[in-house]
Amino acid sequence: MVGQLLNVNNRQKVLHMARKMDKYEDIIENRRNDLINWNWSTRTLRTQVAVKIYPRPAPESHKLAVLHAPKIRELVDEISSKRNIKKEIIAKEVVEILEEIGYKKSLKVIRYLSYALTKIFLNISSGIFVNYQGISKIKSQMGNRPVIFVPSHRSYADFIIFSYVFFYYDIEIPAIAAGMDFHSMMGMGEMLRNTGAFFMRRTYNDDSLYWSIFKEYVYQLVCKGDLPIEFFIEGTRSRSNKSVTPKYGLINMILKAYFLSEVPDILFVPVSINYDRLLEENLFAFELLGIPKPKETTSAFFKSLSIIKQNYGNIFFHFGDPISTRDILEDKINRTKYSKGPTHIHEINEEEKRVIPILAYEIVRKQQSSTVISYFNLIALILNNHITRDQNTTSLHELCSEVRILRNVLRLWGAPIFERDIEETVLETLMVHKGLVTTDENQTIGLITNKITTGKLNADKLKAHALSENTISYSVPFITLQIYANPVLHYLVDGALVVIILRSVGEMAIDDLFKHFCFLRAIFSYEFVLLESWYKMQFESSLNNLLGQNIIICKNGQYNIYENKYFEEVLISSIQPFILSHYVITEMLLKTAAQVDEKTIFTNAQKLLEEAINEKKMFIHPYCMSLDSFGNCLGSLGKMKVIEKKQINGKNVFNINQQSIAKVKRDLEIYIPSFHVIKSFDIFLHIKSKL
Amino acid sequence: MTFPINVESAIPKHRHQLLKWNGWGYQDSKFVFKDNEVYFSGKRYPIGELKLPHFVGWVTNVLGIDALKEQTHQPPPTNLDYPPPNISDEIIKTLELLNLSHSLNVMDRVVRAHGHTLNDMFILKFGKFERIPDIVIWPECHDHVVEIVKLAEEYNLVIIPFGGGTAVSGAVECPIDERRPIISLDTSQMNRILWLNEENLVACCECGIIGQDLERTLNDLGYTTGHEPDSYEFSSLGGWVATRASGMKKNLYGNIEDLTVHIKMVTPKGVLEKGCQVPRLSCGPDFNHIIMGSEGSLGVITEVVIKIRPLPKCRKYGSIVFPDFEYGVKCMREVARQRCQPASIRLMDNDQFKFGVILKPESSYFGIMLDGIKQFYITKIKGFDSDRMCVMTLLLEGDPEEVKINEKKLYNIGSQFKGVPAGEKNGERGYMLTFVIAYIRDLGLQYNVVAESFETSVPWNKAVTLVRNVKHVVIEECTKAGIVCFVINSRVTQTYDSGCVIYFYLGFNYSNIQNPVEVHHHLEEKARDEIIACGGSVSHHHGVGKLRKKWYPETVSKVGVNLYLCAKKELDPKNIFATNNFVDSVPHSKL
Repeated sequence: MVGQLLNVNNRQKVLHMARKMDKYEDIIENRRNDLINWNWSTRTLRTQVAVKIYPRPAPESHKLAVLHAPKIRELVDEISSKRNIKKEIIAKEVVEILEEIGYKKSLKVIRYLSYALTKIFLNISSGIFVNYQGISKIKSQMGNRPVIFVPSHRSYADFIIFSYVFFYYDIEIPAIAAGMDFHSMMGMGEMLRNTGAFFMRRTYNDDSLYWSIFKEYVYQLVCKGDLPIEFFIEGTRSRSNKSVTPKYGLINMILKAYFLSEVPDILFVPVSINYDRLLEENLFAFELLGIPKPKETTSAFFKSLSIIKQNYGNIFFHFGDPISTRDILEDKINRTKYSKGPTHIHEINEEEKRVIPILAYEIVRKQQSSTVISYFNLIALILNNHITRDQNTTSLHELCSEVRILRNVLRLWGAPIFERDIEETVLETLMVHKGLVTTDENQTIGLITNKITTGKLNADKLKAHALSENTISYSVPFITLQIYANPVLHYLVDGALVVIILRSVGEMAIDDLFKHFCFLRAIFSYEFVLLESWYKMQFESSLNNLLGQNIIICKNGQYNIYENKYFEEVLISSIQPFILSHYVITEMLLKTAAQVDEKTIFTNAQKLLEEAINEKKMFIHPYCMSLDSFGNCLGSLGKMKVIEKKQINGKNVFNINQQSIAKVKRDLEIYIPSFHVIKSFDIFLHIKSKL
Repeated sequence: MTFPINVESAIPKHRHQLLKWNGWGYQDSKFVFKDNEVYFSGKRYPIGELKLPHFVGWVTNVLGIDALKEQTHQPPPTNLDYPPPNISDEIIKTLELLNLSHSLNVMDRVVRAHGHTLNDMFILKFGKFERIPDIVIWPECHDHVVEIVKLAEEYNLVIIPFGGGTAVSGAVECPIDERRPIISLDTSQMNRILWLNEENLVACCECGIIGQDLERTLNDLGYTTGHEPDSYEFSSLGGWVATRASGMKKNLYGNIEDLTVHIKMVTPKGVLEKGCQVPRLSCGPDFNHIIMGSEGSLGVITEVVIKIRPLPKCRKYGSIVFPDFEYGVKCMREVARQRCQPASIRLMDNDQFKFGVILKPESSYFGIMLDGIKQFYITKIKGFDSDRMCVMTLLLEGDPEEVKINEKKLYNIGSQFKGVPAGEKNGERGYMLTFVIAYIRDLGLQYNVVAESFETSVPWNKAVTLVRNVKHVVIEECTKAGIVCFVINSRVTQTYDSGCVIYFYLGFNYSNIQNPVEVHHHLEEKARDEIIACGGSVSHHHGVGKLRKKWYPETVSKVGVNLYLCAKKELDPKNIFATNNFVDSVPHSKL
């Protein structure tokens, strides 16, 4: 056992060293000292393309290729004869759609934008940190196959900053899949288009002409384009600051070129982004509660720009190792079946759709594990832990010592965290977040509460329960704090689950422990994205982590809680709101009819939790009212086949298997005793009494 | 003319007396690396005894060859190297009774234990075969073959037919696990032209006649078969039929299946042949197509009636340079669309184009100047990038008038695809080098370089992607295997109405690689997987043999495999022809 521990420690040391060597550089550092910067924006560019093609394809060539693609021509003929409209008219429609979709490239716009962005970044951020070795590794592999950059999506700012990073490193700015919401912003849409954005409608209707054109366009970009491509596999900005389960639409379209052997391989580059402070922090908190985001307009954007005269701290980019599609899928599929017939008649089949998640989840996993953890992420977790235990404030000294402990352990557990002077950094980051966390003259630190005013809300637009203004103003700061704590959970959740199991059930052997773990992990497979095939590995490494910190102990093959009380609390409190929201949702499902729509479930759950919170008998973390968590719970229950999702009249409706849901609820209740540890056991009893 | 014509073969009965026992071709012909210069020895080929000044720089730069690291090859095998032949005295006696020429000599057996795959060459130079034939028998006519097959049936012996020994599929190799005595049935002494019919323009030949003997003899009579595979100096008529061979000039004369009019095959169940010698037949499935491509696994092809043509009055070479490979392929596609292919049309990619330059002998000062002018015109005036351009070579045959018209048409099509005529000399050199290129591998093996070629056929719409993808995969796999110096290049060697043929050359320096043959095999397998995924075939003319079995079932379907097995069971129930080609070790119980 000791030997085993030693090994673990050695391995962790190696991992730790690797992180340290992974250097980051601040790409606006030189701009800060450069008086003019215009020269930098207008410098000669020798950009690296994804695929060297002679002569270089122009943006228009892809649209033309789609227009002349046999598939689109056949579709035009078909629609024309079906609707009895002239082909020319349909073809004109195709051209219009292509104009709406297609990217353009204006070096002038790119240069002006790089100049303007430099000015903005210098104003509002302390630094944009990029792991330059990651960049040079990718650059060295570019030139002979499609390269797809897949960043995590945390903010609207993501792709603009992303393009800025490319401009800095002389990499051709990718063709970026952007949502139509950007397109409708006056001036903004065209500007982004000129830097390489192409637009995708968000409606999932069955406009077959539109989607055929869009698919063909993406296919052309992959097969015949020379630009890298960029898209967000999470499909949307994560409002929770954690990874969202991957969506398969675009990756499907991209991979088609590989399945049909039109390209020998496709490289996916996972990129993770983390902001010291999110531009949308309050908006996200509102959205998590079900209060919809305002429609993007250019004036709103500029308004937000004017707000951001403040400091937003640092931004961290990590470019991961490229993932070769061929390496991952070569042995899993047989591409020969497409060798007969013209290429355009083939569509990818079920066999291929089954393997796409392997790749998609791998990308998300790499994003998760390479996200640089900021010091404010640690602070948020610590404050959250205090608040959960009814300690609303802490001292600077105590905070710093907790940051130190947490940082050192998390680094051992593989989290990339910069080595910096703790007190200095904590003070710096608290300044950035002075709207959320206060520091008074006695250096007492606490969350600023009840400062948010919402104004009149239009109840029709709420996505779930009509929460009172009071509840909203009370909840938003806590939710915002949780949003910042969330990135750290990737490193804590598996350990937390193990601790919860042992604390509730008592000592057990590894096989039983793993069975419990698998159940809980499956319940949280959407909330904390993980593919089943990784359960075993995550379980084992979390056991090693916990053993290494004396949080648990293994005697004669039996695992049990050990002596690190502090960390045990941190772990349990870190996922408490999630357990609560998942528990409430299962309760709701058990109590409703055999078929129920999503909004009803969400409304009932929020209503119940709002009441409980407002009674103020004890602290209940408002994050448990997050619709995101509710949705995640439904997602994982769906995957476990406990419920079944259906679309009826555009609404999400669920059929519930009452027996299974009752079992899930019973199983979940097993773990509630663990919450004695953080004195929040009563919350569950309280909630239970209300049901 | 009196028939049969007893052709005196260029190759002696004991082939290793003239040919290398452990390499390609004639003993006196080889690339020699001496005093930091390379030349080709002997006078058999046009570049013989000429210094090749560009060669050394290329092999040192591209393949990282170190002149000091010359490998020594093992001496010829002796009786001590291999177990004694497993042949009973009774069988020997029977052979003598039947007056059948045979040999138990170890050298005779070793040189018939292999074809010309990289693996074969590597074993000859550095290793040992796990199994070689126990005896070599030289039948001299069809009836001899019938006797031998009868004997094998009676004594349960294995027969592996052996023609020119140039197979690159592993087809003639002995199955390692075969316990029964193995006969190598060498057809080289069955090389008569039995008759020739000028009215029908056909000749009936015995299967063992090799390409150069057949052509020389027919040429003297004013005829040609026009069948010219790259191995035609050494490969035999029977071998061509058994592998479904294809010749360089197939556009004018056809592939072997177009050229053969009648075939005789001796099987354990008797002789399979048609009852008539007609130009075409509608009479059920054509059993010639069971014989063609059977790779020695169903019987011995003994006599073939083959088409002949009067010698062409005019032969002309040509070449066109294109800015890049895609333009070249588009041009070839157009030539095929208009069906105006000359006898041969080939397209070399940029790497091969550069490789061709290294085989340029020292030329006179004037020659160098002329080259300079051509280069200037193409790169500076036409704006071609020397790292991307490629060359198409043409061979035209026929009446002078026709050749002239065809030539004009081809250059016109070429110009539609930015092609620039690059002269007759370049074309001619390209074709002359065809027969020399096979000798390079032996030089490579002396300096830690292994090399092999592989080919495929592919529909037009997938040709360019296939080439690009395969090269990509090979480069990736080389990098993964830790190979630093390697070449992968390609050319389009044939065109058809619906597709074309692509040839790849792959070679690498194995100084830092433990098991080069295995690594090469792995690379080729990955490349073939990619070829198949890209819509290419298992082979256009090299055949399946043992090397490409992996892709046989998916190529012919499961029903196809069973159909083959049924034919095998019917024709050869005892598995006398246990070549083990196509399908993994045909189980005895099934037969």
